[in-house]
Amino acid sequence: MIAQEAQYRDWMLAALMGDAGAYRMLLSGLTRHLRSYFARRLDAAAAEDAVQETLIAIHARRATYDPSLPFTAWVYGIARYKLIDEFRRIKRRATVPLEDAGDLFGHDETAEAIARRDVTKLLDKLPEAKRALVKDIKLDGGSVADAARRTGMSESAVKVSVHRAIKSLGEELKDGSGDADR
Amino acid sequence: MRTDDLIAQLSVSVEPVKSGAVARILLGTIALGLLGSVMVMLAAIGLRHDLGTAMASFGMWTKLVYTFAIAAFGFWLVERAGRPGAPMKRPLLLLTLPLLAIVLLSVLQMSAPHADMPGLVMGHSSHVCAPLVLMTALPTLAATFWALKRLAPTRLTMAGAGAGLFAGAAGAFVYCFHCRESAAPFIAVWYTLGIAATTALGALLGPRLLRW
Repeated sequence: MIAQEAQYRDWMLAALMGDAGAYRMLLSGLTRHLRSYFARRLDAAAAEDAVQETLIAIHARRATYDPSLPFTAWVYGIARYKLIDEFRRIKRRATVPLEDAGDLFGHDETAEAIARRDVTKLLDKLPEAKRALVKDIKLDGGSVADAARRTGMSESAVKVSVHRAIKSLGEELKDGSGDADR
Repeated sequence: MRTDDLIAQLSVSVEPVKSGAVARILLGTIALGLLGSVMVMLAAIGLRHDLGTAMASFGMWTKLVYTFAIAAFGFWLVERAGRPGAPMKRPLLLLTLPLLAIVLLSVLQMSAPHADMPGLVMGHSSHVCAPLVLMTALPTLAATFWALKRLAPTRLTMAGAGAGLFAGAAGAFVYCFHCRESAAPFIAVWYTLGIAATTALGALLGPRLLRW
């Protein structure tokens, strides 16, 4: 069972009886999951469009929710349908494996934001030059050749430098785990 | 529009949803389709002339019960298909019951002493049965698609097939009042073929027509 099921279902049942406050909380809560779900599969603008499309669909078709069935599975069904719709629009082959609702509710954008923040915090511990290289190549997906040209280093020197930096970060994580919570 | 604004707008006031809304949409629309199927049957091929005496025969009730059972489970399948994330396993499993029953009854009739095997299977209308079932089913198929579109089908091939199965069985039920065949093997082959053809048509049309 998905952790949020009980809470969201309660809000949905209240909303179906006309409780606007519960409905607003439900939609806000779902939006966090939907953003993360679509952001992992679409580019930023299309993802936000898909979030809104899904919210509108949830609203327009809310009568199709059967209270005897899991609410999270209902939302996931709609989100997946809207994703296929979006793929069709951008003419990508529309095959989305049928996963379960855990795929939607296992993540939300808060968790991803925390992960991003942790990485940034960790990177701050590197010396300036190395930090730029790691960010360039490992986070932003730049090429080693470009970085070498920009810094005037040889390609192998860039590789070695990045490799060492990652290794030292790994060690930092190992003995600094208490540190990260501060 | 910003997503936060959208949420605010959607939740200004939420109209309460009455329970049974889905059933109302389905039943209202589909009743219209069934009426259409009855009209098509009456206008194009007509009732069998000996309907009065036929209603007391075992063959007539075999057809009626067989097609009604498939239509009932098919209706359930359509209802599931209209709801995102709803499992369809149970109606699909139950569908095997009428199929199993008609096969059993066919075997029984064909293994009777002096059974005319080819006659039992081919009857006298085998070449028109399936196409006429499909024709009779079309109004119901259209109505079922229309109803499904107002729900939220997310697996369109499956939903289309479900609609086709229901409409095919409903069409076959209506066709029973025209058709004079009564042997179980005939029903098992040709009625089932008509229902299967309607199901295939629905599966084909689903992804094209059921988008919402």
